[in-house]
Amino acid sequence: MNNYNLSTSAGQTKPMAALKKLLPYLSEERSKLLGALAAMVVNSGLNLITPLIVGWTVDTAVTSGDFGLVLRNAGILLACYLLAFVASYAQTVAMGNVGQRVLFKLRSSVFTKIQSLPVAFFNQNKAGDLISRINNDTDKLNQFFSQSLMQFAANIFMIIGAGIFLLVIHPRLGAATLAPAVFLLVFTQFVSAWIRRKNLQNLQATGGLSAEVQESLDNFKVIVAFNRRDYFRERFRQENQKNFKAAISAGVASGTLTPLYGFCASMAQLVVLAYGILLIAQGDFTVGLLISFLFYVSRFYDPLRQMAMLWANFQLAMAGWDRISAILLLESDMPTVPVETSRNEALMEFDKVGFRYPGGKEVLRSASFTLEPGKTYALVGPTGGGKTTTASLMARLFDPTSGTVYLGGRDIRSYSAPERAKKIGFILQEPFLFTGTVRDNILYGNEAYAGYSAAGLGAALEKTNLGALLSRFDGGLDTPVRAGADGLSLGQRQLIAFMRAVLRDPELLILDEATANIDTVTEQLLEDILKRLPAHTTRVIIAHRLNTIESADEIFFVNGGEITPAGSMEHAVDMLLHGHRQS
Amino acid sequence: MPEKDIKAPAVPPTAGPSLFGLLGSYKGWVALLVVLALLSNLIALVMPLLISRGIDAFGTGAFNLRLTVIEFTAAAAAVLVFTYLLSLVQVYVSELVARDLRSELAAAVSRQSYAFVQRTGSSLLLTNLTSDIDAVKMFVSQAISTVVSSISVIVGSAILLRLIDAPLALVVLLIVPAIGAVLFFIFRQMRVLFKKTQEVIDWLNKVINESILGAALIRVIDSRSLEEKKFHEANSRATSVALQLLGLFSVLIPVVWLISGLATIAILLLGGHFVIEGSMTIGDFSAFNTYLGMLIFPMFMLSFISNVTARSSASYKRITDVLGAEPEPEGGTLKATLRGDVELKNVSMSFGEKDVLKDVSFSVPAGSRTAIIGPTGAGKSQLLYLLTALTRPSKGEIRFDGRPIAEYDPVSLHAQVAFVFQDSVVFNMTIRENIAFSPDATDESLQKAIRTAELQDFIASLPEGLDTVVSERGGNVSGGQKQRIMLARALALNPKVLLLDDFTARVDAQTEQKILANVAREYPGLALISVTQKIASVESYDQIVLLMEGEVLAIGTHTHLMETSPEYVQIADSQRSTVTYE
Repeated sequence: MNNYNLSTSAGQTKPMAALKKLLPYLSEERSKLLGALAAMVVNSGLNLITPLIVGWTVDTAVTSGDFGLVLRNAGILLACYLLAFVASYAQTVAMGNVGQRVLFKLRSSVFTKIQSLPVAFFNQNKAGDLISRINNDTDKLNQFFSQSLMQFAANIFMIIGAGIFLLVIHPRLGAATLAPAVFLLVFTQFVSAWIRRKNLQNLQATGGLSAEVQESLDNFKVIVAFNRRDYFRERFRQENQKNFKAAISAGVASGTLTPLYGFCASMAQLVVLAYGILLIAQGDFTVGLLISFLFYVSRFYDPLRQMAMLWANFQLAMAGWDRISAILLLESDMPTVPVETSRNEALMEFDKVGFRYPGGKEVLRSASFTLEPGKTYALVGPTGGGKTTTASLMARLFDPTSGTVYLGGRDIRSYSAPERAKKIGFILQEPFLFTGTVRDNILYGNEAYAGYSAAGLGAALEKTNLGALLSRFDGGLDTPVRAGADGLSLGQRQLIAFMRAVLRDPELLILDEATANIDTVTEQLLEDILKRLPAHTTRVIIAHRLNTIESADEIFFVNGGEITPAGSMEHAVDMLLHGHRQS
Repeated sequence: MPEKDIKAPAVPPTAGPSLFGLLGSYKGWVALLVVLALLSNLIALVMPLLISRGIDAFGTGAFNLRLTVIEFTAAAAAVLVFTYLLSLVQVYVSELVARDLRSELAAAVSRQSYAFVQRTGSSLLLTNLTSDIDAVKMFVSQAISTVVSSISVIVGSAILLRLIDAPLALVVLLIVPAIGAVLFFIFRQMRVLFKKTQEVIDWLNKVINESILGAALIRVIDSRSLEEKKFHEANSRATSVALQLLGLFSVLIPVVWLISGLATIAILLLGGHFVIEGSMTIGDFSAFNTYLGMLIFPMFMLSFISNVTARSSASYKRITDVLGAEPEPEGGTLKATLRGDVELKNVSMSFGEKDVLKDVSFSVPAGSRTAIIGPTGAGKSQLLYLLTALTRPSKGEIRFDGRPIAEYDPVSLHAQVAFVFQDSVVFNMTIRENIAFSPDATDESLQKAIRTAELQDFIASLPEGLDTVVSERGGNVSGGQKQRIMLARALALNPKVLLLDDFTARVDAQTEQKILANVAREYPGLALISVTQKIASVESYDQIVLLMEGEVLAIGTHTHLMETSPEYVQIADSQRSTVTYE
């Protein structure tokens, strides 16, 4: 089994390398990007030309007192501004569209990836951390894409354009003006790894805080009933303090660049003023050009300063993207293998199956047994003996570490997921319900009943004898189901899970302590329903209550890595009572 | 134009007073923030003046290079120092406020009743503690200094412009209300969309959360395409809202640039006219252009900040809602050692309109054993919650040793009434800490509880014994083991009353019998109230309460109920076959 633990595999990629991983998402947007690029060039060009026109007007028209020329130049300026207005609108729309579509694809691919990963991935990672990764980190990317990306691109153009103008108007003065920027570039290179590291640590601290809060709130009743409100406060205090420190470090790191950028912009202005005046004195420069030059200095350094701010955003987004791409890099280790020839007629066969969790002890050693169609099997054994693991292997939630599981004579790994899901029903120990109604939940993922009317569904439920169970819900099929703990009891949730599985009409139905919290009268109903399932349905029941297993055709005793047939009910009980325990 | 008019669009219209009230405790820091913001911006304002003076001085031949360089460098260095200090203070204050607010909120939540947390929902509280606090943090770090900086730049450059040339300044300053009006209009529309964005993000998050928490089920049913469809729907909606927002954004920036371009033309025409006339210097003309550029950025910032403020206010309101929520009614002060007599008198309880319990009365004498039996959804667990004061009855009274439960100090009550919950709750810490979870547990009571819950073999088999850390959601412990850890946690209190909620469901029969015998032996005097499904294991109990649809149908010993209660007989019949084995 793969190591899916994200906290151990989280690397630190450089933002540019992270950006590179983003490129495939941009490739389909090439034409849009080119359009945006064109608009950007026009817009930036116009923004750069206008100060030149102003400076030129000052030099020629104003100093010579020709107001007619001033008027004419004002007209040219107006035309430039209007054109820039159109170009800048087009550019923003185009870039924004690209950003949103990329984000859409990105979110989709993360979600699809998560859906493709096996159960082991979810067992090895904290739910709170996963949720934080997908929600918060994609949101960081979202903020970058929806707000910063356009400015980012426009600023780069402005900087390059202004830089070119500065160098063209007066190469020596231009070079002197750009010197502080070179210093900035080197300095930024130098500190950005540090800034990125601090921001990543901050993100991790935030994830830790979320996970802590989630755990404490989910278990609040225990905290209250055992007088440990202080536990919640203390655990929270620690995480909060950790978060505080990480956030301050990240803030201090991110905040170093902006003031320095402002300072360098001022220094560039000073260079222009001092050196420029010197040049004018030598007759190598004009006052009008000096004014234009000062313009370009701010056109160059203002976006640069904004870039420093955006850079922090960019790094944050890339740190988030890094955490997301850690998920995207994971590959499911449970592929579908080619079909082999059939072995035999058994519905399911375990052939020398061994299993261990990564870094854990061996749960199954070399278990072999066969399940015949239409029969009922019970798995008994002490807690922790491996019953749930065995059931999980039957449903291919995990693959065995050695040996093979056969379904209908074929390696279970040769079935596609939909084929397998159609054949196998598994009622899990912890029932999970989706927000919605009881109806939504029992029909969840069941296409056979998708188009049924209320009456049609009622009839179908009666036919499978499930109708009587609905009386356990106040609002029948329309009883609302809300997230988290609410009006429904554990027993009621188990009932819903039961109905959901039975309605799917699987060939193999596995019940993992699925009725543990249901009262015995209702349980009797469930047993009737199980008895009246189609003749070909095979049932595997894991339970502690003996009456739920006494109707089994065969009982397997699961313990200490072995699965042994118990022969008779009496023998099973005997093994449970007197057999060596290992739990 | 009076300065008052200039400020009009600048004041964020939706700033709730409460958000500013929050800053009251950080007056010193906020003052420092304001001073630093003022200093760095005012000095920055002077710098174009230095340049224009230099240009003009050069024109008259009085240019002093050394003086200009020294003055300008000094000003730039001062700005550097002050902006850096400002950014440090911003980070520190905002994180300080966030940390304190989080602590306050967590403390408030920790003092709340279980019913409150259940009603509010953990996901909402999690949002409060994370993203809502982040929004407030954003306000503290960005809003204050930006408002101060922007207003001081706008006002400062307005004054300087008027000092240079009053009539031209008036023309240029017309752009302030013009841009202000455009921004105000667009941002008002944006706010609606921001709200929509939040809703759609919540929806997206719900889909993601359910797909993670229900991962195993989704894989069993192979409903991945269904989940992807749900997600696709939410994702598409999120994108379409974002594109609507983008539509507004795309208008905003070009319009502002156009207006400022028009102002540049006005300066060129009028300023050019004045310079030709000789009533204005070239240096002043250049300063005008610079100040115009300086005016636009703060206008942008103010609009952004008004949004931040609106968002933060909404978040802060959600936070204060929790902070101000009626705290759990003060418990009593009685700290008596319990004998263990429990009595319920006409207790009713409802969830909204649904009656969960109706007029329930029975009593449990100290040291006796009572079982509560009934179908799924009969209200059995709710009864136990009432007995631990986790919830309160809507009618009737619960008494311990003859005195109402409300009179007892909750801490003292919880130390003596122990509850083993139906669902397994284990914390991500060592087994020792999990069992000795209550502050009242001692080493001795811990060992006794472990022995009684038959955990000694399991613990001995672990590499680090009692100090083995239980992974999140108890991944390395089986269902039955969790249940027994929960029992040991309750027993470690040396309780007078023990409440078991379906304890036997996940523990095999042999272990269960052993454990219950251990409990009877090790904790004599203990009043046991056990919600269960299995009649066989409670046949010998002093009384059995049959609960259906929230009502007590029958009370009595097993023999008595077998003779008098047809419903009880029905349940017993359904389980009879097991009796021979257990």
